[in-house]
Amino acid sequence: MTQILVRYCTLLILTLLVLTIISFSLAYLFPGDVLENLTGLVPQNDIQRAALEKQFKLDQSYVHQFVYYVSNLLTGEWGYSFTSGLPLREEVGIAMPATIELATYAMLMALFIGIPLGYYAGIRCYSTSDYAINSASITIYSFPVFWFALLLILIFSLQLDVAPLSGRISLLYHIEPVSGFILIDILLADTENKSLALKDALSHLALPTFAIGAIATASMARMARRSVIDVKHRPYIAAAISRGLSSWQIFFRHILRNALLPILPLMAIQITTLITNAMIVETLFSWPGIGNWLIQAIYQRDYPALRIGMMAVSTVVITLTILVDLFNRVIDPSREKYERAAV
Amino acid sequence: MSHGLVKRLSLCLCSALLVASCAKQNKQAFYNTGIIYCSESNPVTFNPQLDTSSTTSDASSHQLYDRLLDFDPESGRIVPSLASSWLVTDDGLTYAFQLRKDVWFHTTKYFTPSRNFNADDVIFSIDRWRLTSHPYHYISGGRYPYFESIGLAQNIAAVERINGYRVEITLKRRDSSFLANLATDFAVILSEEYATQLSQAGTPSKIDELPIGTGPFKFESYRKDHFIKYRRHDNYWRSSLSTAEDDTAPPDNNRESEVRVDDQNQAFGDNTPNDGEQTTVEQLIFDITPRSSLRLAKLMTGECDATAFPAQTELEVIRAKDDLILAEKPGLNIGFWAFNTQRPPFDNPDVRRALAAAIDKNTLLEAVYFDSAIRAKTLLPAASWAFQNDADDTAYNPVLARKLLADAGIETGFSMTIWAMPVERAYNPNATKMAELIQRYLRDVGVEATIVSYDWTTFRRHLREGLHDSVLIGWSADNGDPDNFYRPLLSCGAIPSGTNRAMWCNQDYDRLINDALETDDIEARKAIYRQVNRLLYERLPLVPIAHAYRYQAYRAELEGIKINPFGGVRFGGVEKTL
Amino acid sequence: MLALFVVFALFAPIITPYDALEQNIDGLLIPPSWMANGSISYLFGTDALGRDLFTRIIYGCRVTLGSAFITVVLAMLVGVSLGAFAGMLRGVRSSVANHLLDALMAIPTLLIAIIIVAILGTGLVNSMWAITLALIPQFVHHTRSFVRGEMKKEYIIASKLDGASKWQLFVHSILPNMTEMLVVQGTLALSIAVIDISALGFLNLGAQSPLPELGVILADGLDVTYLAPWNVAVPGMAVFFMVLSINIVGDGLRSALRKRVSY
Repeated sequence: MTQILVRYCTLLILTLLVLTIISFSLAYLFPGDVLENLTGLVPQNDIQRAALEKQFKLDQSYVHQFVYYVSNLLTGEWGYSFTSGLPLREEVGIAMPATIELATYAMLMALFIGIPLGYYAGIRCYSTSDYAINSASITIYSFPVFWFALLLILIFSLQLDVAPLSGRISLLYHIEPVSGFILIDILLADTENKSLALKDALSHLALPTFAIGAIATASMARMARRSVIDVKHRPYIAAAISRGLSSWQIFFRHILRNALLPILPLMAIQITTLITNAMIVETLFSWPGIGNWLIQAIYQRDYPALRIGMMAVSTVVITLTILVDLFNRVIDPSREKYERAAV
Repeated sequence: MSHGLVKRLSLCLCSALLVASCAKQNKQAFYNTGIIYCSESNPVTFNPQLDTSSTTSDASSHQLYDRLLDFDPESGRIVPSLASSWLVTDDGLTYAFQLRKDVWFHTTKYFTPSRNFNADDVIFSIDRWRLTSHPYHYISGGRYPYFESIGLAQNIAAVERINGYRVEITLKRRDSSFLANLATDFAVILSEEYATQLSQAGTPSKIDELPIGTGPFKFESYRKDHFIKYRRHDNYWRSSLSTAEDDTAPPDNNRESEVRVDDQNQAFGDNTPNDGEQTTVEQLIFDITPRSSLRLAKLMTGECDATAFPAQTELEVIRAKDDLILAEKPGLNIGFWAFNTQRPPFDNPDVRRALAAAIDKNTLLEAVYFDSAIRAKTLLPAASWAFQNDADDTAYNPVLARKLLADAGIETGFSMTIWAMPVERAYNPNATKMAELIQRYLRDVGVEATIVSYDWTTFRRHLREGLHDSVLIGWSADNGDPDNFYRPLLSCGAIPSGTNRAMWCNQDYDRLINDALETDDIEARKAIYRQVNRLLYERLPLVPIAHAYRYQAYRAELEGIKINPFGGVRFGGVEKTL
Repeated sequence: MLALFVVFALFAPIITPYDALEQNIDGLLIPPSWMANGSISYLFGTDALGRDLFTRIIYGCRVTLGSAFITVVLAMLVGVSLGAFAGMLRGVRSSVANHLLDALMAIPTLLIAIIIVAILGTGLVNSMWAITLALIPQFVHHTRSFVRGEMKKEYIIASKLDGASKWQLFVHSILPNMTEMLVVQGTLALSIAVIDISALGFLNLGAQSPLPELGVILADGLDVTYLAPWNVAVPGMAVFFMVLSINIVGDGLRSALRKRVSY
């Protein structure tokens, strides 16, 4: 057990190290002068240039600079954004929870709707309801997420006027960002209009979550269905049937858990897709998350922001992925290798 | 038993309905306390003295501050604001302003005023940009582009404090547009007490970042690219004013100085533009949304109550919807294509004439403005009193264009850049599209044009540095005086401030427009401006393209919002009804 | 349906009645032919600059599908070689490298694209690089596990006993067996690539206006959504049907493969 933990820990640290090296070298890969890219200041003359270089340790060896960079990262000194001038730590601290909140709710939707649907389709495989669910899921899965979100906006926001299309909450409310998760923050805040604010936040959450969640649900449903079908054809199920177990008993005792196991690792890839989709959808809904922030940063060539943003997102994603892998390994040590994507 | 059950059920139902309707009313009541305005970009600063962009003016000038004088948005006349009355001497050189009493500055988390508005604030506000020796002159950059472009600092001889509520300003030369300039968005009154407090604390630049003024709203917070939040100023002086109380004195015939009445402006005594009681609007929020289609969408769903710069394509949509209102007014603006006359070959007027002849202005009007603009022959639109209907205009003539280009030695395949501004303005709602169309026309005469654009702040900075070959941009008037078009756009003095996009300096031109200010006689001024138009037609530093209508799109629940042809949007006095 | 798209892609210049970039100033925002004001000469209507939408869509299919295809092929080549190489190695080092690669596989495509755009600039080619990079780990992983699995099988051991070198082993024995897996993975990757390329084009990080790429056409149409909704509907549908057809074909292939394997 501890051996597995150690292995995964080393993997995590190693991967993060590689990421840090990559993000560190980005400063040299970005077009333009390194000093300008890092600081945003244009040195007027050589004296200033030398002074700035000294201040940012650019006159020392690469290893030295790398160590300096890592120590800065760990202490929370992430630098400042070009465009807004705010400390990057603050910006990421606001943006990251927004995306995670969106992704979490979409994931929950996918888990609690997608998996049961997939199970249902798998149990009744090759029946009409199975065909219906299967074709629905493949259709939704093929939607490009940005077009799907656009359609949702056009229909629900503009035609039917049911849900708003921008931001996390109406700007009239003053909610202190304590945790970054808007629903929690509303409950913690001390305004009088809590229920109004909650309703408002939920209505703002509705469309983006649905846009991302629907595609994730479709994907999950397909995977669950495939897994259930695979399990159904296993010999021990046939044995159980011949033993005389009712279908309910078979389902609960055997199929449920055994079908669940193979799809858990697939969730790791799902997280990646979910975050990518969240980042795209954020631009359409003006959702103040890390995707929107990064895309604005690239439009404005805000290099420090890009570096830190990339670092932040990859760290979160990789940590989550490795955690999921670890979890799978722990609960199912019988598998020798983890499959990543086999739908 | 069942009877009681029915009774209880119906009671439950009733109370549920009541609660629901109460909740709905609560929600409505809450939403009526705030106005959300979809703005198109970030303000550069919160002090409109420092910048000429309309985004900055919209965000600050009429929300946070007041001026000595104001324009009435309907008639265009100059009306009292912080100056309750004024007198002008016969020679037109000395202006005496009587200041309003009982005007309070904002109380915020960072400042509490201990005194009300008086002459010291006026003197501070004017001297800041007028005197380079003033301690606050170089704070936040030291550029006051509007005042620099009209050269007002050079023309003011003295600003004197007569008593606590009276200020006298003496000019060196007559300037018939002086009062109009004091009513522009840029001539705001800052708090001298706040300035002193800040310089003592060692943080003087905060005066432009955490602003204090006398306006209807006070600054609360600003998050770049996201929002600006304002709160109602509870002691706003206009709220306690009503139509009956006009504290302006009628002219006294015994005075030695005569009251000057400009032909186009009435001196004083008019109604202030936005009277009324205390507004119920407690919050004003600017939701910064650069894309105009998103602004329209937010307007339609109600996430914004009013929006800036609706695109031409969207106007029909807004008109068609019942819960949205589109107000329109002929604008005091000009959209043009300016050449960088400091860069060869654009310093050759024949080359400029050739390029002007290569494009068909009518097509541009149709494709970009969708019939919400009129073709521009000169700088001035029809709304101005100096408008010249019979002015000369360039015509679409590609043959002439090719000939002139060849004569000037420009070969086929000559490449130039067209800089297209990235934001929408009334005078040019889609510069990129216009640039693409011009690109096509130029290709027909053998010129290859590349379209260049940046984000708005970077764009204007580069324009000031003169990095462009030509640029599609424009100008909205700040006051009703024609000088406000001619001087900031093409005079020599306007080059350093950046408003002279053509980087053009012509002594004859400067002489003519200065002459026009010497006299107050309308006909004489008109004649001079006719000469100016002729000169511009011969030299063509820029090609006037269109005068556009100004639009304001807002939800039907807003009352009291008016289009201000002379300045930025005003939210003081705007109410929201159910 | 997939065949239809392939035809579009290959024969685009011949089919289309207009030039994709030509602007017709007189014909701005004409509605498509099945609506009241439309005309048959502009089958899908025109966009805000007067360009025929039908032409642009056809060219767009070509650009999107074509570049996605190239991306996938490239990723496959690189990924397969790397994976084969890794699969045939043994030892701790390969295992470490493998785990690392798997972990890196988790980085979102969009992020990679953003970084590459930041370094190299925008443009269709750069976005293709980004997506290639993002797809490679997938191929590497599958190839590696496949090769690893095959190496244990008897026929490989038999060939080895015969004296075949590693290279020959790979090319003659493993590769033919791998084609089915590759095809399946390829279709999966193709659908991902199509969506990603159009997403990047939509975000203005990939193909740039006025290049006709389906995502770019969609983004251009956003500004006139209410006046002329077909500008947004049609390119979106094109991408949707393209991906749908790829997915259906892929699904079918997978089922066929599975059936073959299980019997």
